[in-house]
Amino acid sequence: MPAILQYAYMQRALLVGLLLSVIVACLGTVMVHKRLSLIGDALSHSSLAGVAIGLLGGFNPILGAMGVCIVAAFSIEAIRKKLGNHSELAVAIVMSTGIGLAGVLSGFVRSSADFNSFLFGSIVAISGFEARLVLILAVIVLVAFVILYKELFYISFDEQAASISGVPVGVVNAIFTILTAVTVSIAARTVGALIISSLLVVPVAAAMSIARSYKTTVLWAIFVSAVSTIGGLVLSFYLGLKPGGTIVLISVVFFLLFRFLGFLRGRSMSSKGV
Amino acid sequence: MTKVIEVEDVSFGYTRDMILEHVNFDVEQGDFAVVIGDNGVGKSTMVKLLLGVNRPTEGHIRICGKEVSSLRKNGIGYLPQNGGSRAASFPATCEEIVMSGLYSKIGFARFPGKSHKAKAEESLKMVGMLDRKKDLIGELSGGQQQRVMLARVLSGDPEVLILDEPTVGIDAESVDRLLHILHHLNIDKKVTILMVTHDIEKVGPYANRVLCLSEGACREEMLPQAKIVHAHAHSHPHGEATHIHCANCEHEKEHGHDSEHCAECGHCEKYKEEK
Repeated sequence: MPAILQYAYMQRALLVGLLLSVIVACLGTVMVHKRLSLIGDALSHSSLAGVAIGLLGGFNPILGAMGVCIVAAFSIEAIRKKLGNHSELAVAIVMSTGIGLAGVLSGFVRSSADFNSFLFGSIVAISGFEARLVLILAVIVLVAFVILYKELFYISFDEQAASISGVPVGVVNAIFTILTAVTVSIAARTVGALIISSLLVVPVAAAMSIARSYKTTVLWAIFVSAVSTIGGLVLSFYLGLKPGGTIVLISVVFFLLFRFLGFLRGRSMSSKGV
Repeated sequence: MTKVIEVEDVSFGYTRDMILEHVNFDVEQGDFAVVIGDNGVGKSTMVKLLLGVNRPTEGHIRICGKEVSSLRKNGIGYLPQNGGSRAASFPATCEEIVMSGLYSKIGFARFPGKSHKAKAEESLKMVGMLDRKKDLIGELSGGQQQRVMLARVLSGDPEVLILDEPTVGIDAESVDRLLHILHHLNIDKKVTILMVTHDIEKVGPYANRVLCLSEGACREEMLPQAKIVHAHAHSHPHGEATHIHCANCEHEKEHGHDSEHCAECGHCEKYKEEK
């Protein structure tokens, strides 16, 4: 057995990392195609405010992050509808509020080490409870994604046409928003709040460089996300690197490689309008 | 004739200033109606009202006898302006795009079956894009993208087709192909069509009704060109070009010329038709 698998904490980290990488890629694909790439940033930053609330209130910071993330996600949806042509401002407004709140509240947190662990993640220090939480979340997100695949596809493609065709856009968007918020808040504990937003976007951007359909975009995004996560954990174990940052940097390498492959195939991201 | 679209005393404004005031018109089953008017007179606003995106401030809109009260409109197909350009930035195949138009047939949280796939292929075939079904829509020309978008709408078997400036941004040849397909749908499939357009010269010959929005109101214009060519087109359901010649001197009659007297020899017998 390789050395990395002889440690229970690394076994747990690999399993949790793999599960998160798959669901983050699924959610990221929808997010990118809904033109909400930066929503991950807004939610992950807002989750830090929830972490601070949890640490100050004496309850599990993940629960605090979940609560704040859900409120933030619905706020983005609500503001987006009000702003019409400037809907992208909704993300910036919520992100600014989240950062401001996290900044102020973190000043009252006694143990800065606890707070910092959510900034860059601590996947190797994950508890059994947290691992079970991720497992349950992964099952729920995957089942929802498969069942609502065509609805999410249609809404991402053309929300108005989807409504006209009878897609319950409000319900599907609400389910997607809750799943994203919960995933981001839990992922904040593992890969870190500042890194989860990258993982939501970079594997999808890489996949779009070479995929020949929406379905293969999802599959390539899952592949890039999973290989980056496992590769990042293995490299960080043997080379003594920070796992979160290593995972994101590997996914960026994939992006560059796939862009090059896409260029070789006579295709580029610009032809897709990205 | 059954009234498919009924707009009754409709007024609407985004602010206190009304864009549309007491607009009235009907579209009957089998009509190919075009809505024309200057920029900003409320043509696209009218479309949004018909689709239920916006609610009229006053008045009623009924489609197939039912009050427009929500966005859910099974039986109505909608092709927006530059629909293809929106698709261009989406990494999906033509087949995937068209499958999304089958939503009302598949249903919520259900998976498409073989019959749905066959329907998507049939729709792509109808617009002449079946051989490109596995291609990314972003790799097609503007005209081809618009045809795929039309296939998506057609896959839902709409009774009424509402199109908002579908010819904008595509080349002349693609416009002709698109109009030919719409004509075929209107004549053979009995699909009622309402099209907002600026391109009356191109679209006019295929239409039997011309509705002009102006200063917030709607009036019907009966362009001779529209009447004549459409009437002849009905006798040629496959839409072949129709040439009309004088029975006496074979002088070719101009499109839109509704006199029964030949411009060349003054002969008063009815013109004969040839394909």
